[in-house]
Amino acid sequence: MKKPIARLVLALMVGVVSHTYANTTDITIKIQKGRFIPSQIEIPADVKVRLVIENLDDTPEEFESFDLNREVLINANSKASFYIGPLSPGRYKFEGEFSPETAQGVVVVK
Amino acid sequence: MKLLPAILRCIVVSSILSLFSFAYAAEYLSGPADYIYSPRVEEGEREIDTKFGTQTPRSGEDSRQSGASIGFGYGVNSWWFTEIYGKNIWDGTNSQFDAIEWENKFQLTETGKYPVDLGFLIELERPQNRNEGYEAKYGFLLQSEWRKWQANLNLLMQGHYTGTENQGTYFGYQGQVKYRLQPELELGAQIYSWLGQLNSWNTNQQQQTSAGPAIFGKTKLGKKEALVYNLDYLWGTTTASPKNTIRMQIEYEF
Repeated sequence: MKKPIARLVLALMVGVVSHTYANTTDITIKIQKGRFIPSQIEIPADVKVRLVIENLDDTPEEFESFDLNREVLINANSKASFYIGPLSPGRYKFEGEFSPETAQGVVVVK
Repeated sequence: MKLLPAILRCIVVSSILSLFSFAYAAEYLSGPADYIYSPRVEEGEREIDTKFGTQTPRSGEDSRQSGASIGFGYGVNSWWFTEIYGKNIWDGTNSQFDAIEWENKFQLTETGKYPVDLGFLIELERPQNRNEGYEAKYGFLLQSEWRKWQANLNLLMQGHYTGTENQGTYFGYQGQVKYRLQPELELGAQIYSWLGQLNSWNTNQQQQTSAGPAIFGKTKLGKKEALVYNLDYLWGTTTASPKNTIRMQIEYEF
């Protein structure tokens, strides 16, 4: 009785991990001269996306978004990545905490 | 952060813990200034962390127990956060330095990659009362989010070793649910529970469990400065728990 349950749990775990990998898309956003490029990205609803933030500036920047529940430091001339979603349709703002006057962006979920 | 390095890190921290488990002889203390750990680590984050809590005992003959701590924490890299605390306790008449504590938190999975973010906590404490030896708290930290909701569940073990008081290793959990209404105000609830010794759980009424509403928030003070807070009121749900607990945490991030 225990073996079928263990197999079911293992299958579910493998399924969850495979599902995660199978449906992930990478989107790269660059930081240059204190701005996000592009400053607006569009992603489909209910899909997990991997954001790769590439900082081309000589100073660190922090990707911050209350809407997305993410705060990630990107060192100077470095990359950082993290996942967002699945999200429902809407606009999710983000900003660069160290240069909020210029570093503004939005994820549009359709 | 790849899965393999995350697993390797997990093995390394588990190995370190196994060294402690051989010398273990401990007891748990559910402190009035305890708080809910998050598995997420923010590289480069520096914070001055203050906590305060006060517990009303169930028996009127016992005095109120209060505790406070102040610490400095730093996000060393994207997966390791470390913090040093000094803790103080008082019972209404006597105030005394209680312990110095070293908290280490390891984020084991990349943020948002899996349905649940996973972390690991190792906290070592040197109590001022040397009869208590050293205290260690460790365990897995879990966090998940759905839309504007966030949930945390931490599975923890705690005990003392190399001392003569408070024998045993205890198992407990802490959890919270919150609705992320706006940056300055999030609404939720928290629960703290110690179930008993690892090899001998207490009966329901002997377990120490407190639960109640909580509020959370963050206010920006400048480009790289913010105040982060959480505050809750907990009711003891068993006869072994404090009657009620009020606790708060304020962090200055810079």
